[in-house]
Amino acid sequence: MKNLKKKITKIFKEFTVDEENLIPILQKIQAEIGYISKQGVEEIANFLRITEGQVYGVASFYSQFRFTAPGRHSIKVCLGTACHVRGSQNILEEFKRWLLIEPGETTEDKMFSLETVNCVGACALGPIVIFDNEYHGHMRIKSVDELIQKYRTEYETEREVDK
Amino acid sequence: MQNNGKIKITINNQSYDVENKLTILHATQQNDIFIPHLCFHPELSPYGGCRLCIVEVDGVKGYPTACTTQVKDGMTIRTHSKILQEMRTEILQLILSEHPSACLICDEAEECSDYQGTIRKVGFTTGCRWCPKDKDCELQKVVEYLKIDEIEFPVYYRNLPVEKKDPFFDRDYNLCIYCGRCVRICHEHRKSSIISLNNRGRYSTIGPAFNQSHLDANCEFCGACVSVCPTGTLSEKTKKWSGIPEKYNSSICSLCGLNCDIQILTKENKVIGTLPLGDPHLTGGELCVKGRFCLIELVNNPDRILEPQYQFPEGLGFITWEEAFLKASDKLKKADGNKVAVYLSPNLTLEEIVAAKQFAQQVIKTINITSSVLTNNLIPYISLAEKSISIEKIEKSESIISLFLNGNYNYAPVTLAIKRAAEKGIPYLQIGWINDTTSRFASHHLTPETGKEKEFVKEIVESFEKGKEVSPEISEVMKLFKDSSSTIILGPTILDLTEAKEILRNIEKIIKLTGSKLFVLNPYGNLPGLLSSVDLKPHQDILDKISKGKIDSLYLIGDSPFKKRPNVNFIIHQSPFPPSEKLKPDLILPTATWSEISGTYVTLTDKRKKLKAVVKTSEKVLSNSAIFAKLAKKLGKQELKFNKKELSKLIPKKLTIKLPEFNSKPKKNIVQIKTRAFPYTLIQEKNLYTYMGMYLNQLIEGLREIEPEETLIINPIDASKFDIQNGDNVMLKSHKISKKYPVVLRKTISPGFIRLITSNKTFEFETNPCPVKIRRVNV
Ligand code: SF4
Ligand code: SF4
Ligand code: SF4
Ligand code: FES
Ligand code: FES
Repeated sequence: MKNLKKKITKIFKEFTVDEENLIPILQKIQAEIGYISKQGVEEIANFLRITEGQVYGVASFYSQFRFTAPGRHSIKVCLGTACHVRGSQNILEEFKRWLLIEPGETTEDKMFSLETVNCVGACALGPIVIFDNEYHGHMRIKSVDELIQKYRTEYETEREVDK
Repeated sequence: MQNNGKIKITINNQSYDVENKLTILHATQQNDIFIPHLCFHPELSPYGGCRLCIVEVDGVKGYPTACTTQVKDGMTIRTHSKILQEMRTEILQLILSEHPSACLICDEAEECSDYQGTIRKVGFTTGCRWCPKDKDCELQKVVEYLKIDEIEFPVYYRNLPVEKKDPFFDRDYNLCIYCGRCVRICHEHRKSSIISLNNRGRYSTIGPAFNQSHLDANCEFCGACVSVCPTGTLSEKTKKWSGIPEKYNSSICSLCGLNCDIQILTKENKVIGTLPLGDPHLTGGELCVKGRFCLIELVNNPDRILEPQYQFPEGLGFITWEEAFLKASDKLKKADGNKVAVYLSPNLTLEEIVAAKQFAQQVIKTINITSSVLTNNLIPYISLAEKSISIEKIEKSESIISLFLNGNYNYAPVTLAIKRAAEKGIPYLQIGWINDTTSRFASHHLTPETGKEKEFVKEIVESFEKGKEVSPEISEVMKLFKDSSSTIILGPTILDLTEAKEILRNIEKIIKLTGSKLFVLNPYGNLPGLLSSVDLKPHQDILDKISKGKIDSLYLIGDSPFKKRPNVNFIIHQSPFPPSEKLKPDLILPTATWSEISGTYVTLTDKRKKLKAVVKTSEKVLSNSAIFAKLAKKLGKQELKFNKKELSKLIPKKLTIKLPEFNSKPKKNIVQIKTRAFPYTLIQEKNLYTYMGMYLNQLIEGLREIEPEETLIINPIDASKFDIQNGDNVMLKSHKISKKYPVVLRKTISPGFIRLITSNKTFEFETNPCPVKIRRVNV
């Protein structure tokens, strides 16, 4: 926690106390720390002399900001129009069902975080899911579980090797 | 065409002269043209969210919203064309598709509202007949205006859980139309910004950051958001099912010395709520939680006593008033006046106070009149208050310094004045350990070192007197004093400090040296009225007399100074509320109170405020004056008059506070400073907020949740160091004492400090502040 505070305080040094700087600060913190924590919101509020509510209201409006620490792997489900008509909503539901989390959250074991995006410019491949930086086109509901298992086993074997 | 600052515009083919800089909506309102609107609020910044107020303007593309568009010279506006009405209907249907609206479009709506009066007290609102806002809802009115009878869009129920855990008001965001009025009033008017519009689109929510409870988010429970909500989303717990008030009566709040103006909402001879002055649907934020939500719970409290009672040898029993008067007069006839002590509450009206004084002096013939609030520390505090300025002047000062202010749940007009002033750029400095609603506006927040509070103020004095070098912190204070004419706002927490008297003495010096103004916060409703119309004895003197056996009877009028029965022969407890359990008074006489009697309160600057009788009490409850009149007659003093006219003659024209001399032996105070072994600072506070001798947080559950007693209030940062959660038990240890307490986490206390509120007469821990350490108790 102290570490986090240090990092955030350092980021503040680049900014003046002005409400206008709220979004740039949020972006910077997200870029350097990976997410906007509760403590982060508190620190920003104190720094800009506004309330946590004001910071959170703005931050939660933009889908680019996340409030939980990202997991080891990121899963992005495209909900853009093209993917949507090809049933990406169902793919998302399937991920939610397997991972037991909502978009914007991270699984309890910190393995996966789920997000939604709006069109990644690969509409022809829709519905599309981006696992870390790997694009998986023509996703089917059946392959959701397979994908998750694949990453889980990879991780397990990695750990075996480490041992 | 300009003529005396006005411009010409055309609305629906008619031309109007209107002021420049108006919005189209204002212009139409001023000329009695109705445009439907939901998110508009006359005193808040325009939001343009609901889009019902769309209009057509020649030369402007699309359909601008009237509430956000300014009039321009020569503008031609249409407000009710066919296409506009059609679009409005569609917009409203869209809003309704996400709002439980069955009743709005149901054929049986009228019959249903007439015959199904009892089924509405359910937790979920599935239609208007189950909504607390039924018949008082702005959405209903717009539906009626646009004559909507079907919804073409698929309906969507958000299925959000109803939020009921916070005190005083419930929130059912399934009914929310995202008009943002609550958010804006909290931000712009109350300047608290607790709630915000969160997330986006279908997932939009309203509330504090991270879904915290309002309590955790430092909400002040001012109720402004509740007042302005056009729908049933936000509803007062106590008023939820009371329906529409029959009358709005202006009166005052009697729960602190500011005596805020309020309106009392009544229905069928019952108080159903209180609000600040102004349009009931649009105002809010001027009162603190006590004036907004607690008064109603006081008068309607189930604990109130409603019949006279007598302590028979077999136990307490109801008696008639006739019997009660007989018993009282019998006792008082035989009593030696000098051995009777009369206690008065600072919540009595001036009229009641002079009536009691007349009764005490001429019927009982005693000089032993006191009030339990008149402690030895209060006397120097209130003597400072003689120099207090009026509240309007706070905003006009050049700088503001608050000392020991705890403004989250108290003194709303003062905290608002501070926030408004600070927003205008007036420097504000806060001294103390409380992180309240004003803290965010402070240019500096100083906390005196534990045990060195006296030195802190002394240093300021000495720097002025002898030009002594000061610490950098204090030099900030000095700068304010030197550069500007400051106003010091003094909070009553100071009364509890071990060195209160010395600190107060030094503050007095500072005021003399700097010429600063002073505003003293008085926690007791009509204390100035009490002090200026009766020569009170210090409470300590009466206590001494009781313990020496020089007093054998007590007549307690709205005051409740004892937890246990003291060693006396006879006690009369005359109050709206019951005595403490172990007092065992001989006679209990129930009285009428706030909202049931009319009378006068006085502020510290001798402003008279009128309390009004707006409901009638049951005939078994009498007013104080009526009781005195009856008893005086029984005791052969029928010539004494206790009616309103005669009593007001007894009230002095000019009221000046008279304080008793008190001979306090100067004693050496022991203070302790913080050490490594005891790294936290415990602040003990006497529970100050009372009404007729009752502790408000003991009577009112919501207030108890906010400010619990015998519970450690600690900052979440400190709690996380010990892995302490709300409700855990913690061992608190000082040099001399250790004791176990439950804990609540609140951001209102600064890290490093711990608050402990008590209604005991003495503090548990040896000094105040007291250096302590904490340890979690494992269960
Ligand atoms: S009660 Fe007052 S402080 Fe709390 S959210 Fe509503 S307006 Fe804001
Ligand atoms: S809670 Fe009420 S005031 Fe607030 S946005 Fe919803 S409908 Fe409007
Ligand atoms: S500030 Fe005082 S007078 Fe005003 S509402 Fe609160 S308790 Fe009542
Ligand atoms: S809509 Fe999914 S990639 Fe374009
Ligand atoms: S009143 Fe104008 S948009 Fe709501």
